[in-house]
Amino acid sequence: MFTEATANLIQDYKNTLHSYDEVLDSKGVIKPHWMALFANLQRLGMDDLVQRNQEVIAKLKENGVTYHVYESAEGPARPWRLDPIPFLIEQKEWREITLGLEQRAVLMELILKDLYGPQNLVKDAVIPAELLYANTGFFRPCTDLYQGKGPVLSLFAADMSRGPDGRMWIVDNRTQAPSGSGYALENRLVTSKLLPELAEGMHIQKLSPYFGGVQERVLSLSERGEDSSNVVYLTPGPRNESYFEHAYLSSYLGYTLAQGEDLLVRDSTVYLKSIDGLQRVDVIVRRIDDDWSDPLELREDSQLGVPGLLQAIRKGTVQVMNPPGVSLVENHAFLAFMPNISRYFLGEELKMPSVATWWCGHAKELRYVLDNLGGLIIKKANRKSKFPSIYGRMLTAKDREILKRQILRAPHDYVAQEEVSLSTTPSLVEGKIVPRNAALRAFMVSDGEGGYRVMEGGLTRSSSVKDRFVVSNQQGGLSKDTWIVSDELERRNEKIKLPGLTVAPKQVSLPSRSAENLFWVGRYCERAMGGIKFMNILVNVLNLDRNFAGTSKPDHIKVLLQTLTHLTATRPGFLEGNAESMDPYPEIIDVFINQGRVGSIAASITYFLNAVGSVRNQWDIEVWRIIDQIENGYSLTQKSEAVTKHNVQKHMDSLYSNMFTFLGVVAETMPRDHSYSLINAGKLIERILGKLTVIKYCFCLQQQETAQEELVEAVLLNQHLLVNYRQLYKSQMHMVPMLDMVLLEKAHPFSIVSMLKELDECLKSLPRTSEKERLNAAGKAILKALSTVELADVTQLALVYGGGERQRLVDLLERLSDLVKQVSVELTNLYFSHSFMQHSFVIPKEDDEI
Amino acid sequence: MKYKLIHKTIYKYPSLVTGYQSLLCLEPKTMLGQECESFQLDIDPAPAEIVQRTDFYGNSTHYFSLHRPHTELSVTATSLVQREAIADVKMNPAITCKEAKDLLAHDRSLRIKMLEYMLASPMVRWDEEIVSFAKDCFEDHRPLYDCVKTFCQKIFVVFDFTPQFSTVNTPIKEVLAAKKGVCQDFSHLAIACIRGLGFPVRYISGYLETLPAPGSAKLQGSDASHAWISVYIPQYGWCDFDPTNNLVPGSRHIITAWGRDYSDVPPMKGIIFSSGQQKLKVEVDVIPLS
Repeated sequence: MFTEATANLIQDYKNTLHSYDEVLDSKGVIKPHWMALFANLQRLGMDDLVQRNQEVIAKLKENGVTYHVYESAEGPARPWRLDPIPFLIEQKEWREITLGLEQRAVLMELILKDLYGPQNLVKDAVIPAELLYANTGFFRPCTDLYQGKGPVLSLFAADMSRGPDGRMWIVDNRTQAPSGSGYALENRLVTSKLLPELAEGMHIQKLSPYFGGVQERVLSLSERGEDSSNVVYLTPGPRNESYFEHAYLSSYLGYTLAQGEDLLVRDSTVYLKSIDGLQRVDVIVRRIDDDWSDPLELREDSQLGVPGLLQAIRKGTVQVMNPPGVSLVENHAFLAFMPNISRYFLGEELKMPSVATWWCGHAKELRYVLDNLGGLIIKKANRKSKFPSIYGRMLTAKDREILKRQILRAPHDYVAQEEVSLSTTPSLVEGKIVPRNAALRAFMVSDGEGGYRVMEGGLTRSSSVKDRFVVSNQQGGLSKDTWIVSDELERRNEKIKLPGLTVAPKQVSLPSRSAENLFWVGRYCERAMGGIKFMNILVNVLNLDRNFAGTSKPDHIKVLLQTLTHLTATRPGFLEGNAESMDPYPEIIDVFINQGRVGSIAASITYFLNAVGSVRNQWDIEVWRIIDQIENGYSLTQKSEAVTKHNVQKHMDSLYSNMFTFLGVVAETMPRDHSYSLINAGKLIERILGKLTVIKYCFCLQQQETAQEELVEAVLLNQHLLVNYRQLYKSQMHMVPMLDMVLLEKAHPFSIVSMLKELDECLKSLPRTSEKERLNAAGKAILKALSTVELADVTQLALVYGGGERQRLVDLLERLSDLVKQVSVELTNLYFSHSFMQHSFVIPKEDDEI
Repeated sequence: MKYKLIHKTIYKYPSLVTGYQSLLCLEPKTMLGQECESFQLDIDPAPAEIVQRTDFYGNSTHYFSLHRPHTELSVTATSLVQREAIADVKMNPAITCKEAKDLLAHDRSLRIKMLEYMLASPMVRWDEEIVSFAKDCFEDHRPLYDCVKTFCQKIFVVFDFTPQFSTVNTPIKEVLAAKKGVCQDFSHLAIACIRGLGFPVRYISGYLETLPAPGSAKLQGSDASHAWISVYIPQYGWCDFDPTNNLVPGSRHIITAWGRDYSDVPPMKGIIFSSGQQKLKVEVDVIPLS
């Protein structure tokens, strides 16, 4: 038995109800499982619940859980919102719902196979021919992808809501790239971690059997078997609304996250472009919409898809789940014909009703719709059209006439649906438990034998606004963990096999594009850090010597200011015009925080964060925590007037130490694989180039004794060598020992020679792309750089020539710099792909003469 | 009439192309009145495989891909086609526009078969303005066949054949406003109007043998791929019309493919992997052999 609630929390909630609610049964009695949940809430107390809610918000943010909202003022990435109060469905009711869902999935499968095949539904007049021919989800090139024996619809999701009669209704179908299961999983993990007390006395069904089912289905599609099959999770990329989920699920399921440009069709076979070369792909879990999947045969302007994919599927070398073309059944008009379709195929009634839907292509239905516009929602049958859902009751008499005329012009393009009312469910809003409308998405996976496994849970979304029925993520709703509960543990007879979750997955190839992003994570991180480090040294010097204002500046300050401009490549900066007399702080702060300025620290941090986001499946949770802090620190600097002459160092210090921590956590947590080597290589290349630039511009020209001493100290600081130097040479700041140390000190990681050696090690750990050459071009360049620096004679380098220049030093530094840049170019050529997709001309024009 | 057909396309790229995926729709149909005796594709550099497939509309397509880096690509399709002189067959189906409309509305199996060619398609949409251009040609009591003929003549008279004016993507409305375009534009306009009036019509892609001016020799590569329309006349069958030349296609029209509009049957489309520009040249020869 569920524990009884003793206190008044639930009575208080009941008193706020003004519509049918999840906690009440048809007689208005509180359902026992909700009673149990409220008892647990009561025990926790409202204060604690609100506190836990804050923890939930923080946890989701820390885990980097986002949902992109298009055209949002707050920027695209919006934190995922999870209500701490779950949505409950009792086990026995869920069994009924499951039957209805399974039947629906089976019907969708049958419709797809029929309409892409014999089209008996049309011939036998079960559905009007317009549902096929006027359906933008009917892709003519896909007809031969549906002829195989096995099921075509592997993944299916349905949106449900509870009608006033207490039954669940299906309001929508999702076939082409159903989203949400990853968010459901994350919701469960966060809820069970932060609110374990809420589940006391209840048995909650687990989500993992569903994901095990997905893995089994994938495995059964692959011909080569578990050990050698290569599965790719195909995402449109970081700009997609649910990219978080793509990264999250791919890593949870153990598949390689890839974008279209990471894949290539050759000899009707799909390959993954990885830094180990081309790897054959057996199964693609597709999160790209149908029409974008293959620009050769489907939507031509798609940059997301894989040209030739349809040909590979036809040849049977790759299995795509779900195959392109499934959006055929996402057309809204099908809902109107589901009862007939069910009778036709299965000889049975629908176990779960759909929301009442009228297709306007038939005269009788059209008349009904036109006569009853006020109570209906009007939609285009084709989901992809930009036409918004129109609520008849919100139209003026004039607008209603306009809509009628519009419908009459092409009636078969329109459907009308009864305005769905949703049940309310307890939600935490502004510290109170109040009723909000909610809808539930359920997830199904094919068992390969004609049946479907339903996730024992789902993604519940509720409106954040009272009495509002629209519960979409795009419009800022809340999500809820969904519990299928019982008061006793259910005995399961079926044994669930979870391949891949228990066995350690094999080494997964790193796609070239991810490899490149990782490399740039390293480069931009160091670019920002190197810039901040030097800027900090500069500001320290400035702070010690403030009397120059208005008059000319000491020589070493001039040199350091100019070096900053060179280092960050932010000309004109301190190199031109009135640099001599200007107050340096505004320019320094601008180079620090002006994100729109090329070369600024802010720009580097933005690029860094973008690169980090593009390979989000690479990061451990610890890494995310630090990235979150870097993001926070960075956004603080972007508030207007936030950074001043007086606090600029505080901002720099905090960003610098967080980025340092990022590198530290990466070094501590990442496996020593190619990913790690690439980040490190990027970091080292950038670091060497930065340090070389600073040495060069500080010492290319001879300075007065005192100025030179200041510069020697600054450069030592910039390479973390000042402490070492002092131990050996006390406070004598001289050129020769300084150069010896910054260039050649083998025992110190920041000397040029040590960094080059480390870079060399990094390159050696990357895969060899050609057997012919023992040393690739990048390796050769690094070897040249190493011997160049090791052969250098520091006494000679310090010499000053006729015009006061240190020509030898400059020559050496420039040569080293060129070689290191060459390493970067060679790495790009070796491992990262750089051609992009374009259409060849399709029709000749007379002036296109060769 | 027997023809040898050569359709040669040459692409030149200033920068290296590392990959190419292509879909061709170049093989003439074998059907009543036309027989394709042989068809050969020569592609240079040679692809690893060429895959033939029959598409949704029954057209023959060829897929190939290239992975060898290249800067020039040539695709030559050569076919031998025997074409009957259909123009001589007496065609005067008497079914009127009204009768045709009634049949299409009430004969369910006919409607199902024809619906694909009666609805809007990717490149053919219409509104009242477009349809009103054709309205005066279609009168309920007149035979549908005659009305289409009158309509094609109207296009021929009102519009100028102007090659440089339009591209593949020029909207029908713009063509209608400017009163100029090429065969593809006229065909799309005709299809939009005829579908707008409720009759099934499809887009035909093919070739037309051009005749040199009297006294001069025919130039090599001077022919071109061509497009026209086919209207379904209930109780009679598909009937071809060429609005560009105001004639009923006969033995000089060779059919390659049909579909709802151009987008279903482009002769050649492809995707290249490269960072550079491209140039192309097309030469078509329709050589009468007998």
